[in-house]
Amino acid sequence: MYRSFVGLEIHVQLLTQTKIFCGCRAGFGDEPNTNVCPVCMGYPGVLPTLNGEAIEMAYTVARALNCELTPECSFDRKNYFYPDLPKNYQISQYHAPLGRQGYLDLEFRKKKKRVRIHQIHLEEDAGKMIHAGDMSLLDYNRTGTPLLEIVTEPDLEIGEEAEALLQELRRIVRYLGVCDGNMEEGSLRCDANVSVNLEGAGLGSKVEIKNLNSSRFVRKALNFEIERQEEILERGGTVAQETRLWNENRDQSESMRTKESAHDYRYFPEPDLPHFHADAAFLRNVEERQVELPAERRARFQEEWKLSVPQTEFLCDEKETADCFELVLAEEPELDPEMVVTWLAGDVRKQLNRRGWSLTESPLTPPRLAQLLRLLAEGTIHGKIAKQTLELLFEGGRNSSLDPIEIIEEQGWKQIAHRSELEPFILSVIEQHEGAAEQVRQGESKPVGFLMGQVMKATEGRAEPAAAQALLQELLLGAPPAREPRPESRAGSEATAPRRSPRIPTIQVLSFGGAIAGHRREDGLVEPGDLVSLGELFRQDPDLPEQIVFEEIRLGRFLSEEITPADWSALLTRLASTLEERSVQGIVVAHGTDTLAYTAGLVYWFFADTSVPIVLTAGAVPTDEGERGESVANLRRAVQVAAGAEAGIHVVYGGEDFMPVNLRFERIAPSPEGETGSFRTWNPVGLRRRGAALAPTARSVTREVLTAVLESALRRTFVVRVFPGMPGETLIALMDAGIRYFILEIYDTGTANLRETPFSLRKALVRGRERGVSFFCTSQQEGVVDFSGYVTAHELWRNGAIPMGGLTTESAFTRLVAAQVEAALVGAGGSSDSGAGDRGYQSEEEFRERVLHLMT
Amino acid sequence: MTDTESLEEYLAFIRHQDRETGSFLEIAVRPGAAGAAGATGDPAEHPAGESPEGSPPPPPRLPLPLAVKDNIAVRGYRLTCGSSMLENLVSPYTATAVERLERAGARVVGKTNLDEFGMGSATENTPLGRTVNPWNHDFVAGGSSGGSAAAVAQQLVPVALGSDTGGSIRQPAAFCGVYGLKPTYGTVSRYGLVAYASSLEVIGVLGADIGTVARTYRLMSGVDGMDHSSVDPPPDGGSPDPVRTVGVLRGDLGLTPEVARNYAETEQVLQARGYRIKPVELTTLEYVVPAYYTIATAEASANLARYNGVRYGYRPDYAENPEELVRKARSEAFGREVKLRILLGTYVLRSGFQDQYYTQAQKIRTLIRRELEQIYREVDVILMPVFPTQAFPRADAEGAPAFARLDEFQQKVADRFTCTANLAALPALTVPTGLARGLPLGMQLMGPAFSEERLFAVAEDLAREMPIQFPRSSISWPEWRAAGGGS
Ligand SMILES: [Zn+2]
Repeated sequence: MYRSFVGLEIHVQLLTQTKIFCGCRAGFGDEPNTNVCPVCMGYPGVLPTLNGEAIEMAYTVARALNCELTPECSFDRKNYFYPDLPKNYQISQYHAPLGRQGYLDLEFRKKKKRVRIHQIHLEEDAGKMIHAGDMSLLDYNRTGTPLLEIVTEPDLEIGEEAEALLQELRRIVRYLGVCDGNMEEGSLRCDANVSVNLEGAGLGSKVEIKNLNSSRFVRKALNFEIERQEEILERGGTVAQETRLWNENRDQSESMRTKESAHDYRYFPEPDLPHFHADAAFLRNVEERQVELPAERRARFQEEWKLSVPQTEFLCDEKETADCFELVLAEEPELDPEMVVTWLAGDVRKQLNRRGWSLTESPLTPPRLAQLLRLLAEGTIHGKIAKQTLELLFEGGRNSSLDPIEIIEEQGWKQIAHRSELEPFILSVIEQHEGAAEQVRQGESKPVGFLMGQVMKATEGRAEPAAAQALLQELLLGAPPAREPRPESRAGSEATAPRRSPRIPTIQVLSFGGAIAGHRREDGLVEPGDLVSLGELFRQDPDLPEQIVFEEIRLGRFLSEEITPADWSALLTRLASTLEERSVQGIVVAHGTDTLAYTAGLVYWFFADTSVPIVLTAGAVPTDEGERGESVANLRRAVQVAAGAEAGIHVVYGGEDFMPVNLRFERIAPSPEGETGSFRTWNPVGLRRRGAALAPTARSVTREVLTAVLESALRRTFVVRVFPGMPGETLIALMDAGIRYFILEIYDTGTANLRETPFSLRKALVRGRERGVSFFCTSQQEGVVDFSGYVTAHELWRNGAIPMGGLTTESAFTRLVAAQVEAALVGAGGSSDSGAGDRGYQSEEEFRERVLHLMT
Repeated sequence: MTDTESLEEYLAFIRHQDRETGSFLEIAVRPGAAGAAGATGDPAEHPAGESPEGSPPPPPRLPLPLAVKDNIAVRGYRLTCGSSMLENLVSPYTATAVERLERAGARVVGKTNLDEFGMGSATENTPLGRTVNPWNHDFVAGGSSGGSAAAVAQQLVPVALGSDTGGSIRQPAAFCGVYGLKPTYGTVSRYGLVAYASSLEVIGVLGADIGTVARTYRLMSGVDGMDHSSVDPPPDGGSPDPVRTVGVLRGDLGLTPEVARNYAETEQVLQARGYRIKPVELTTLEYVVPAYYTIATAEASANLARYNGVRYGYRPDYAENPEELVRKARSEAFGREVKLRILLGTYVLRSGFQDQYYTQAQKIRTLIRRELEQIYREVDVILMPVFPTQAFPRADAEGAPAFARLDEFQQKVADRFTCTANLAALPALTVPTGLARGLPLGMQLMGPAFSEERLFAVAEDLAREMPIQFPRSSISWPEWRAAGGGS
């Protein structure tokens, strides 16, 4: 076993008004060589004068990274010749850097680690040399920009982890407002050192890698280098101490200079600058500049707002987003925090991305967002109108003077709830669809949904559904509907008081194959079928609330084990359009038992932010066998939950309301009561029915597009349950066959065979990593996979395997499918705008990065 | 001195009188550079960049022509530093010290010759000009501020600025027989002084009259925002008491008989004027030169690294790539002595050798400082030789006696009396103390930090017995004018 040691040197360009040692403007984008003066151009006779803002920012970062602050720091000259360095020495800190012995707590792929900061020092940046043909051009605008160098101890082990550290550090400097963190423009730069050695043998030869100007390069270059050194050691060679340069075009590092030609920087104290004394007043300012850092804020958001990890990660990625979230809730404390996150992460982000604005640059101030969401929550407008309002607000430009309420009034977009306003629309619908109206008068409930849809169409979705349906029924049946309380006994443990006002529910029932929707043939075999009798079955069911309106949609004749991507696509697009139409109060999906855990997971990743209950249920026997099987009871329960439980994804079975993820069906021998099995929720801690959807973009594409994307995702995905003696080569063969994403079901909290034999997984992992294949690990033993328990687990982690924590294989698998769908569609330029799912647009690597992001 | 006509006449005087001495590299008055002169108020009250509004300009307090050593920046003038590297560089800015003097009414009339980047003791290490000692053209003017010393001795200007890194003001002042002040480190802003050895060097004054030297120093000293190492001298100069006790060195100091005799004479004059003479011992004197050259060359190796032919200065005709451009520029444009010192400085800073050389030198520096602090508890100032010899013959002079010639190594060893003040950051003042063999003699007074005013007082006292003398070939501006100019 090898051990790798990775340390980073991170250069942070400070956002000061002026340069570090002269009065020139510091900043980007100006004409070359315009922000220069005799001092930063290194003219003879000039002297540096220290910028107070720069030193204050520098100490601020050191303090935030828990460093020991040097009471009296000093500057040194670092001597080396380079054309972009005007003085041919750099003023830096060597003997007494401003900060030492700090740390940054990092949580990466379920693994917590304290990365020690060796030191932090302040220095001046060099200019930029641009090679153009046989010419070398120099731009000195950057010369003398204050640069903070953060040097970590070699506490990191793999590229992905280093990348995560860099990203967290980027967040921190942005939170502190001292750097824009733009790696493309070079305001954040990174060098790294790597040394690999046999486990337990300490550090090996140190190789420095330069030119890592994106976090992706950091990951790739480090993994390349670790691999390179391991290979050398494996062959019995020795690693040369040298400096290497990452070549992004060739995806490899190249030797730049060896130890023999290493620079001797000949540091000596800078005679032109006195020592800097960090006095009490200065340290007070540094203290005042401290802010709640991203990690603290994420923890607080989870605690205070009960948000999920991905939600807090999204919110706290940018300080302005987290600030906006809190300001919106301060403005409107009644708003549902999840709703605020959903909007920020969805439509707001989409608007910002389209225009390339940051939140603070946009016309959407926190009070405006609060107002919009309040109007939505109280029913003045519905979701589609809210989106249109947002669109108009953004179209008004950065300085738009209109508030959402003004836009809505101006456009006449308020919801129609008043009887006198609704009546003309409804009467005209009845007149135009006399046939359907007549059926309802005759006691049929089915056409109500159709007529409601027409009302919504006529009012452009502005009719308040409950009021409209009440009026529709009144106008057809002649009597005001009884506003009875809901049944006392409601299905499921999760049944709590609904957030919405009582209304007469329209429940859509989707029949998605399986025995539940089939019937038993003459020969006794169960055949899948369509759910034909459901409406009839429940018409007179005394346990269901009166006036429930059913809408039946049949999605196919198949058993659940026969599901294809096209079937899933049909279900998902159907759910999407139903939710978009807003004409139902709940949805029931009747499903087969065996694969319900998969479909439930998939529906969760796509529709976790649903505004109504989506209830999946199953039965092993057809309903036409009446009360003998559990199917009827399950369906009845599902309808109750759909009519009354909180919005979210539910799985109803055997009288229980399960979570949609980590569900597992366990078949048992039939009991005397006729029970043949049940579901169980695995690792139930922290599971939810509702949250931000992982793959929202898929909701705006056609069924054909979604089918294509799902098929392509499934072709690249494979689930492997490891077993003793499993040959690693088998996985390599699967990679050859086009598999790029594995769900690896390993042992316990994350162990597998990594011994150096043909049966080792290691080779497969290494080869996979080279080829951009990802391994997501779940546990066979209900363990929470975090790789922290065993040596082999750590080795898996080092080789890039990704722990899926407490997720079951089924849930990890569906998440992976959803992540690929989202990555494909977002990469295609998003949603309905392009409407295309073709993936010619992006590199395999970009795609994979999106998937990884959605998976971790 | 203000109207254009008399300025032109003045420049003609300099040009004519400097034909043989060669003090100047550039003789000119720049309208731009003179713009601020005399127009604004007291630089002490109104630091650079600010001018009082509404109040009438006070009369200029230094309405004198001023020569500036060509390693001090004056906007619009060249800033050659005596080097081919910077032969065509025109300075885009003005040194703080010069700016303050211009504000007080001084007019820069030209730039004076020097050893390349201040590295030398004879103003011979330069390809740009040839400066001789006005007293005897076969002898050197001293260095590196040889041009400024010769210009004052030749009476071309009443006052000139020089820079002193290891004696570069005081030694040429002694060789040419004028006053030369090396101020306390930091009292005069170094902004605009082309760096050679930053922790050692200061801008100082050479003058024909101690009062003018003192006034010039007062006007240009004081803290400057452009130089973080600059300080305000304390108002009472560190001590309100006049100088009573003068320390002198005893024993074999390696002086020529003329200098040794003059040292004794000067001591006697002081004693006669009521000063108490007290022998002191400088045990660190023999370590001064190695420590000085280690630190100076180390700093020089970094300070001179910026001359690479990229942004300004000498550029080779052709280079294959940026690296070659730098290599060619430096090997073609630097002189021998400069290259030697850069190599030496690079060597002493090498990792693995730094402790042995650079760090050791810094320790010696601390010891020297401590020993002097000890001595100044017993004496107020120390009277010391400036240099073991009088001006020595020029390398290219034919008639000069061979015995008096000093090779480069001897020249460096001879720096021990002057380098002490630089290593200890103390003020020291060369005063003219007579003539021998047709060449001037000079001694230096070295005091504790900020004791400039007390040094001036002693010098004034000494001037009563040992007045400044000028070479017979020289003629003052009033005499020139009275005689009707160059005719
Ligand atoms: Zn500048």
